[in-house]
Amino acid sequence: MSANRSAARREVYGGPGVGAWGRSHRRAFADAVARLRAAKLATAATLSVFALALLLPLLLGLFLANALRFAGTLDAAREISVFLEAEADAADARRLADAWSARSDVAAVALRTPEEGLAEFKQMSDLAGALDLLDGNPLPWVLVVSPRDAAVADPAALAAALQAEPGVESVQYDAAWRARLDAWLALGRRAVGLLALLLAVGAVLVVGNTVRLDLSQRREEIALLQQLGADDADIRRPLLHFGALLGALAGALALAGVFAIGALLSAPLAELVATYAGGFALAGPGMAEAAAVLAAAASLGWLGARVAAGHYLRTSLPAGS
Amino acid sequence: MPLLRFDAVHKQYPGGRAALQDVSFAVEAGEVLFVTGHSGAGKSTLLKLLHLAERPDRGAVLLEDRNLAAVRGRDIARYRRRVGVVFQDHRLLPHWNVADNVALPLRIAGAPESEVLPRVREVLGRVGLGDRLSALPSQLSTGEQQRVGIARAIVGSPVLLVADEPTGNLDPQLAAEIMGLFLELPERGTTVLIASHDLALIKRTRQRTLVLHEGRLVDDIAAQDLAA
Repeated sequence: MSANRSAARREVYGGPGVGAWGRSHRRAFADAVARLRAAKLATAATLSVFALALLLPLLLGLFLANALRFAGTLDAAREISVFLEAEADAADARRLADAWSARSDVAAVALRTPEEGLAEFKQMSDLAGALDLLDGNPLPWVLVVSPRDAAVADPAALAAALQAEPGVESVQYDAAWRARLDAWLALGRRAVGLLALLLAVGAVLVVGNTVRLDLSQRREEIALLQQLGADDADIRRPLLHFGALLGALAGALALAGVFAIGALLSAPLAELVATYAGGFALAGPGMAEAAAVLAAAASLGWLGARVAAGHYLRTSLPAGS
Repeated sequence: MPLLRFDAVHKQYPGGRAALQDVSFAVEAGEVLFVTGHSGAGKSTLLKLLHLAERPDRGAVLLEDRNLAAVRGRDIARYRRRVGVVFQDHRLLPHWNVADNVALPLRIAGAPESEVLPRVREVLGRVGLGDRLSALPSQLSTGEQQRVGIARAIVGSPVLLVADEPTGNLDPQLAAEIMGLFLELPERGTTVLIASHDLALIKRTRQRTLVLHEGRLVDDIAAQDLAA
């Protein structure tokens, strides 16, 4: 072979390196887009199934995240109301408040006078008329104790300690309700995680099956490519782009679904929540979370294509290998 | 040093008789060589060995003094990029236009896009299809499709081109035109090996011819002897 022919051949084939690698990926991406556009119906069906598989855990995750946020706003449930004995006066109440404020497991202590208690009671009940008939105010001084973070202090133990203090008539702390809520939220987190895992496997299988069908329809084309010098990576590359593109599109669809459903439920949910704890707005995924969803969905699509292409190439080795 | 050498090559398919038996010959660079014989003589097997679609049981096939037995794994794809192949049934991708079909080997090899189209235009011009770049294969005649197949096989300037009955479906006039294209290739450095059972065409073309019979090389006829 002459030097000129060698040079001409090098010129045609190009040298190995980043340039050829980049070109092969650009061509693979263009091929993937062409595949998506060529089979619109099949693409739409796969995209829908994939998007639904992503939407379900995303929605559950969204509601769980909001439930956690909501639970965090329910500080009232964490507060301990300490009712002093009827004989206790303002000085006794302030002395106890000062003493308890110094405790390491107490974040704050608020004083509520009997007058404040009575006003609140009248406002919250239909007994205003009946209360006016009383000679005096029967309500005691109340100290509202906010425990520190549950990770630092055990509110139940604090409530028990306060109950034992002299001058304390009773302590109100709904520990069981709080514990049940935390248990439900932990269960929800675990269930969403498992569901997401199962649906991710499903999404991988959906993409894998789509790629498998595509490969079976292109069997002759692939054999020709192999005869013309395409190696496994050349065959696989456009399929991986196809899978990743399918995943990213499904992720975008699922995110759009999350935002749409969130917008539809936001108003009635806010009304419901307002009856418990005042202001609360349903928060959708942020930019970073949306990007993570897209990346994860693209990765699932890539993985599905990788599995299907790998299986095909292993079971249809080119002659002579 | 010959470009291509077969040394006592033996090939037998499982459960069948020997497709090739102790076949030895050498081909110099720039030759156009016919391989002929009846159906089952071993022509296709010989071409398959050159394209690494099959492996010999014994003996060696050497291209540029390299034993093809050593070409394994990913090297098979790289090797195939240096050997053009023309199929009897063209094997064009039906949904791709002529230019994209011809460009396929260049794109597989990772050639820059800026060089692909000029190269494709040049090669299609050589086979007389310079004005059919955007046509689909279904819009071409059988002869034109075969020309596209040849353009695809030579676009990467292969060192060797193998063609399996490339004129099998063509009328004599078209067959002669296609042969004319093959005869031009040595000028550009491509050695050509054509399997054909069309003796009349071989005599008209007047090139060195190997005759196979039941897997044995029974004759090696020089070009000048065919002319007699």
